[in-house]
Amino acid sequence: MTDWGWVAFAYTLVYGTLIGYVTSLVMRTRRANGEATRR
Amino acid sequence: MKRTIEVAAVGSVLIACVAGLAVPPDSVQGDLQRIMYVHVPSAWLAYLAFGITLIGSVGYLVTDKLRWDRLAGSSAEVGVVFTGLALATGSIWGKPVWGVWWTWDARLVLTAAMFFVYLAYLALRRSVDGAERRAQRSAIFGIVAALQIPVVHFSVIWWRGLHQPPTILRPDNPQIDPPLLFALLLAVFAFTLVYVALLNRRIDLAVAEDLLTDAPRADEHVAGAAVTAPQLGDWR
Repeated sequence: MTDWGWVAFAYTLVYGTLIGYVTSLVMRTRRANGEATRR
Repeated sequence: MKRTIEVAAVGSVLIACVAGLAVPPDSVQGDLQRIMYVHVPSAWLAYLAFGITLIGSVGYLVTDKLRWDRLAGSSAEVGVVFTGLALATGSIWGKPVWGVWWTWDARLVLTAAMFFVYLAYLALRRSVDGAERRAQRSAIFGIVAALQIPVVHFSVIWWRGLHQPPTILRPDNPQIDPPLLFALLLAVFAFTLVYVALLNRRIDLAVAEDLLTDAPRADEHVAGAAVTAPQLGDWR
């Protein structure tokens, strides 16, 4: 793999993880709020 | 305020990303050095997040207020994410530069140990019933776990290994050219804003989860119903 390939691999991993984590936080919060409202 | 921080975090990360890809390459490592613009901020945030967990843990034991426990637990989860990213990006950099994905260097081993210790901290939080009991046990764990943070940081000075010693946080001047230093500091600033935004979101989730735990289910009998007068319908 080229140097830029390693760089792209690292950046994709970092920013992809952060986007995925933000999405999971938003969805978990919505689910918890929704469930608390239903009770 | 939270929304402002989130917008600032996204904006600064975009700028930092462009800066990291646009600054001149390192004279020795070439373009591979650009991985440092995501690796170093991730490692810094691991320290910061676990330091905040320590503050939250002490705060809970001093005040008995659950908001300190939420701060500690939320920061630990975000810290585990950044520690995982620091380990992963270090490994991606190590393969082309050192020739191996992993080596038993003191910094690497201690960082991995810190990662697993805080995973255990998160597991402990899930395994204890009752908000107060959970908060008290987690606070003690959070304080003891924080003892390893300075050991991880100074490991590159105390033990000779493959990992390079500090570049910026060193007694003499930083050993890095100004454009590269600018990109690195920009990335550290941007990632710190991301951490604050993530922490706010995670605390919101912790509040929602605590409300969920406290709220009785609609199909649950209220406490004491079993010892009050039984309904006639119960006997049919």
